[in-house]
Amino acid sequence: MLKHQIIPNGKEVKFIFFSGKGGVGKSTMSCATAVWLAKAGYKTLLVTTDPAPNLSDIFGQAIGHQVTPIRNMENLHAIEIDPDMASEEYRERIVGPLRDLLDEKNLEIIKEQLNSPCVEEVAAFDKFIEFMDDPGYDVVVFDTAPTGHTIRLLELPSGWTDTLNQSAATCIGPGASLQSAKAKYEKAIDYLQDRERTSFVFVLKPENSSILETKRSAEELSKLGIATSFLIVNGLLPEEACTDDFFRKKKAGEERIVARIETEFPDLEKIYYPLQDSEVSGTELLNAVGRFVYEDKKDETGIKSSPSRSAVFFNQKSYRKLNCHDLLKPTNGQRFIFFTGKGGVGKSTIASTTSLYMADQGYKTLIVTTDPASHLHDIFGQAINHEPTKINGVGNLYAARIDQRQALEEYKERILESVKDQSEETKRSVEEDLNSPCAEEMAAFEKFMSYFDTNGYDITVFDTAPTGHTLRLLELPTDWKGFIDLGTLTKQTSEATQNKYADVIEKMRNRDKSSFVFVMYPEYTPMIEAWRASEDLKKQVGIETAMVAVNYILPKDAGNNAFFGKRRKQQEKYLGEIEERFNKPMIFAHLLDHEPKGLAALRLMGQDMCGVN
Amino acid sequence: MSNQELTIYEGAMCCATGICGPEPDRKLIEFNETLKRLTSDYNGNLKIMRASLVFNSLLFFANPEIARLVKENGPAILPITTVNGSIVARQKYMTYAEIKNVLEKETLSA
Repeated sequence: MLKHQIIPNGKEVKFIFFSGKGGVGKSTMSCATAVWLAKAGYKTLLVTTDPAPNLSDIFGQAIGHQVTPIRNMENLHAIEIDPDMASEEYRERIVGPLRDLLDEKNLEIIKEQLNSPCVEEVAAFDKFIEFMDDPGYDVVVFDTAPTGHTIRLLELPSGWTDTLNQSAATCIGPGASLQSAKAKYEKAIDYLQDRERTSFVFVLKPENSSILETKRSAEELSKLGIATSFLIVNGLLPEEACTDDFFRKKKAGEERIVARIETEFPDLEKIYYPLQDSEVSGTELLNAVGRFVYEDKKDETGIKSSPSRSAVFFNQKSYRKLNCHDLLKPTNGQRFIFFTGKGGVGKSTIASTTSLYMADQGYKTLIVTTDPASHLHDIFGQAINHEPTKINGVGNLYAARIDQRQALEEYKERILESVKDQSEETKRSVEEDLNSPCAEEMAAFEKFMSYFDTNGYDITVFDTAPTGHTLRLLELPTDWKGFIDLGTLTKQTSEATQNKYADVIEKMRNRDKSSFVFVMYPEYTPMIEAWRASEDLKKQVGIETAMVAVNYILPKDAGNNAFFGKRRKQQEKYLGEIEERFNKPMIFAHLLDHEPKGLAALRLMGQDMCGVN
Repeated sequence: MSNQELTIYEGAMCCATGICGPEPDRKLIEFNETLKRLTSDYNGNLKIMRASLVFNSLLFFANPEIARLVKENGPAILPITTVNGSIVARQKYMTYAEIKNVLEKETLSA
């Protein structure tokens, strides 16, 4: 039983962090944990930094930016921290003192420079820390967790004077500005490393991408002395709902993934939580989830599957407006298509399918992946290299993979070449500085940009990196351009470089040249995350979303029972919301009982997804 | 050699090294080199500080002359170099020889 992992020891406050990608069910699990603890008699605070929190839906009451008691629940309080507001407060704290020194224009430039993911992560964690310092509760449950990257940034303060003296390369860390905060950060990191005080829980889905992501994040944290406490594998297909061949096949595939989870994380305690037929809300249901997870009370899950036929079918025809070809064909000789969305939504599959479909329509097409965990080679069944590789068996299709490591090597070579006439010592220090995260990002971005040159392809498809990392890369040129135009950048950027960036931005903004396609599946978190990312793209870079691809739609001829009937109803609800929110042409891909691999499978999917008829 | 203090007041930038931009900044690379040489020359008897306008704004206010210059001229006046609190250069990064020269004069007059 897992309850020993979360129960406070009676002496110190217990902190519980839930980590995992969006859409895995972190909110549900953290709410369930908080409710379970409160019911067990512990004074509990639930803290969310979700950009689009749904605590009010889950608890059926408004919560907001201040600590609020949960109605009809003893011992439970909750607060929703708006991460945008937190970042703004953090930026204001830095810029505030400069008001006496600089005019509005210069203040704006500095604020813009602070508009980076680094700063946002730190600002969110800054808020966490407020609740880690004598919170007045027995236990504090956080529905998100700092990443290894954030913690490394926070570790900077301890050495900030060294940083200044030795002028080591650093991203914009928080420490330098907030010297007084040094002790606070150090204490927070101490707590995180203390297994007695802190539990770090990973929530994942039974999917390969989720396993990889969890493994990577857990290893990164373990290097920083933060141990993972246990895993919650969320959303397993309930055996009794798999009443036909399609879902029995899916269930068999899922069992192989479960076996993989067991081998990948042999030393960790795990709990497997079944997929529910509807969204979990209300304290009674949440407590049932908590009892399942922490007390092994499997009979209380609420899954009541009566395999009667259900008449609920989603009619996607009414949503379809245009087909892929009309939306994505090159209008001025060349088109760039960006598939964007969080990990696990099926971007690679949708991007590959679209690429093959367009290649089959006669366009010379290149698909480029920037995802370090890309499985394009699996999809096409052949090695994909750094340089465009021809896909066997298709006349017009090429694929390339931006290998971060190789890109970094190329970047390093180029930089070192530019200082080759300097002293040996300079060369050595430059080489040292090239081992910074900044250099890695720059390198990947440079490579990414190189595909924008007139490259001899009618269509270039980018299967973009799964996180906000890509957004940041896309954002960068505008920032630089801003700085360059205003002449405040301390760096001497040559005119040629400047023009290259301007050209890329222009191409991305031009709707005749570029199409941004948001990929998601019809559930709350994936929809909200895609929506926010698309708004950011519009506000920060001036790029309008061209269309929306909705994946994993339940097929018509499978899952004809009450359980999937309810799931279909839920999908239908979110399809309606997606259409309303985005108000863009939509394409649909169905849930498959296998991962599509090979040209035949992709063509079949392409006909379903993009076909005119 | 007495203890001396060298402070460089700098504007907004991504990294202190100039390596993380689209192109390496020669001036910053060379300046880092200069600071490394000075650090080893003075073997702990020279305190070097780099004050970033964004992250160490308090240091700008700590020296009223610096605050006044930035206020009157904007960040374009940066970088400013001070030795033992007095301004010795503005709007440029000093070379190794220039800094060395100033530091030696200071030592003589002390």
